[in-house]
Amino acid sequence: MQRILLAQTAPGMILAKEIFNPDGMVLCGAGTTLTPSLIERLASLDVVDVTVEGHPVIIEGEKTLHEELREIDLRFHRVEDIAPLMYLKKRIQAKMVASRGSGTVTK
Amino acid sequence: MDEQKRAQFKKMLREIKNLPTLPGIVAKLGRMAEDPDTTTEQMGRVISKDHILASKLLKLVNSAFYGFPQRISSLNSAIILLGFNVIKSLIISASIFEVMEAQDVELWEHSLGCAVVCNVLARHLGVKDPEEISTAGLIHDIGKVAIKMELPKEYEMITELSLEKKISRLEAEREILGLDHAEVGSWLAKSWNLPNKLVEPIACHHDPQLAREEQMASAIVHFGNIMIRGLGYGHAGDIWVPPLNNKAWKLLDLAPIDIDPLLQEIEEKLWEVKGFSLDIQTEPEGMA
Repeated sequence: MQRILLAQTAPGMILAKEIFNPDGMVLCGAGTTLTPSLIERLASLDVVDVTVEGHPVIIEGEKTLHEELREIDLRFHRVEDIAPLMYLKKRIQAKMVASRGSGTVTK
Repeated sequence: MDEQKRAQFKKMLREIKNLPTLPGIVAKLGRMAEDPDTTTEQMGRVISKDHILASKLLKLVNSAFYGFPQRISSLNSAIILLGFNVIKSLIISASIFEVMEAQDVELWEHSLGCAVVCNVLARHLGVKDPEEISTAGLIHDIGKVAIKMELPKEYEMITELSLEKKISRLEAEREILGLDHAEVGSWLAKSWNLPNKLVEPIACHHDPQLAREEQMASAIVHFGNIMIRGLGYGHAGDIWVPPLNNKAWKLLDLAPIDIDPLLQEIEEKLWEVKGFSLDIQTEPEGMA
């Protein structure tokens, strides 16, 4: 799951979350595949960003999944003897893996 | 650490000159709230006299920190819906936000993130007045801002010591000043006449077992700080997740099954607050 600007979308991407208008009404449901005309219509409705499945847009300077996981390890380095925090670490890492889509890494 | 030095730093920090005082409106509203004849409209009128404060208030009320499901567009409805205590803590947040945002962007992000986590935790646990707990999360590190502004030389020494000896910022503060940001923050909060529900969580966010009255609020801010550091959102001086206090953990009574949904909700709200700023000039749509 990745949140990207509408300008970064491309036809074929699948919405991971519904898009709401400012009044809280659903414009477009989760699971919808983006098409050129749909992207154009969303732009005309001033939608700024959308959440799509997988991790289709590579952002310059973005850390790799491996780097992210290592940093999480490092942050939790001093509390390795505290069981609830080790569980929290595992879940944060699992979430990070899931958010980058399956790709080459499996859960 | 010799006692004399500690007393000297304590005196300097207690005399805080560089931090702004809270706007007089807080004291005025406090007096109004004690008078049973005060109406919501009267209170709303007092707040709306300060246009900037009023728009900041509405912007905060409608932000993800407080997570109200509907857009609140008028001050009167904000007062009716939220009650006076929450409005008061919102005014305080709006004023403190301003100082923090200008001082240290990364600490500001850490504080924003902590407020979001505290709000999600407080709602999950069904605690009364989750808005006050969010506010406590928001200002839990205000002592760091005070140290940075009042003792800039020592602040640098703390940073160096923490890097050099690979110790946490908290430990470095205790070594150099003989006191830490939690203690400093609690003096500040007391000097602003903030309620104990804000003072104790600030004072005890690293040692929640010391809380006497506000144990739950202190435990939430303690764990909120741990979670936001674990997520690596913002930066609070060092990278390490601080230790979890066992008593606070028992009080929170969270089960493993709670963690994933909490993380999901926190992530969504963090997206919403990304780049949140109280600077109303650059974002006129935040004004209502």
